[in-house]
Amino acid sequence: MKLFSSLIIPALLLLIGFVMTKRKDAYDAFLRGAKEGMKTTVSILPVMILLMTGLSMLTASGAADLLSKALSPICSPLGIPSDILPLALTRPVSGSAASASYADLIERCGADSFPGLVASVLMGSSDTMVYVITVYFGATRAKGTRYAFPVAALIGILCLFLSSAVVRLFFTYNA
Amino acid sequence: MLGKCFFIICALSVGCGIVTGNIGELAGAAIDGAGRGVTLSLSMLGMMCLWCGVMEVMREAGAIRILSRVLRPVLSRIFPHAFHNGVGDEEITASVAANMLGIANAATPFALAAMEKMDAENTDPDTATDDMVTLAVLGSSSISLMPTTIITLRRAAGSAAPFSIIVPVWITSFICAASGMLLCRLASAAKKGKAKKTKKNTDRKNEEKDCATAHTLSGRKARAKDDPVLGGVSASAAKVSGGGRSAGI
Repeated sequence: MKLFSSLIIPALLLLIGFVMTKRKDAYDAFLRGAKEGMKTTVSILPVMILLMTGLSMLTASGAADLLSKALSPICSPLGIPSDILPLALTRPVSGSAASASYADLIERCGADSFPGLVASVLMGSSDTMVYVITVYFGATRAKGTRYAFPVAALIGILCLFLSSAVVRLFFTYNA
Repeated sequence: MLGKCFFIICALSVGCGIVTGNIGELAGAAIDGAGRGVTLSLSMLGMMCLWCGVMEVMREAGAIRILSRVLRPVLSRIFPHAFHNGVGDEEITASVAANMLGIANAATPFALAAMEKMDAENTDPDTATDDMVTLAVLGSSSISLMPTTIITLRRAAGSAAPFSIIVPVWITSFICAASGMLLCRLASAAKKGKAKKTKKNTDRKNEEKDCATAHTLSGRKARAKDDPVLGGVSASAAKVSGGGRSAGI
């Protein structure tokens, strides 16, 4: 499994190289995409700075620890590490806030620690739910979103629980 | 939205700082945090450029089209109405395919186009159709095959195996997306009982529209117009049966 995971990127790059030899416009496409990626990164830089400043203060003030401690009685019976709760709360609302919160968490706890792994899986398997539903329905004339929010919220909670369970299964943690 | 977030974070920090006596460390932490925001963005820059370039090549080579072909049979079961009537089905598959490949800036326009097409065909524009809600729920539960940003950030944080989370992410996101679709079905089935009455009315509206457009049926339409008693009876029958059903449930 480990070998498989580490082979994905090289295999993909090999495929891209192959496409580049076959098609002349592929190289230009790569440059265009890379520029686009640079633009995205630069455009989120100010948001990152603002949020990292805030989160750094939050950690230094001891608020993050207090919050985790306060919520751990609810989370520990379900096998959810309480450190990831700030992340779980920001994830549905804002993508860049969640990225900053995630980066802050794996720096504090370690990327390969139990909370770090759970946070990684949670980040990978959930999305900015509130934003997506609002934007999608913005394109329609519908007056309400019907059961979209309740279902998406339930899925969010399921995702939080599942990421902890799957990480536990996969990495044999006892934490 | 983010302004509010930032205010809450600051207020919490200052409040807690006073309570725990760590208030003196806040200024230093703020400066460190701003610096970390820059290092973080810089460490993401390389991978973001590489990945977006790779994805652009894949898009150019028709990856979305190929993946769409694979996804079509599955999605036609999830969006029965859209695929049966051919309303926005191509946009839905393209959007899901782009989402899976992690090309978010292609996925959203496709999804919006699909929503617009479904909306244009909606006979009751105030109420979203089941397929619209399902697409929104599917879009809001991530189904990405390669969580690039996360891998980059893990690497930046000094992970020994930044890729190790890929398979757990696949398992979790698959189960989440599948249960989302299942819940959508259940919710629409549960609300159908309640909405039976209004649905009957929209069905009737549909029928009238069909009649108006199809000239072969113009005779029948004329007869219905000439015979208001029959129309009135069938309408009240629909109301009675609708009311009876919802009361029964």
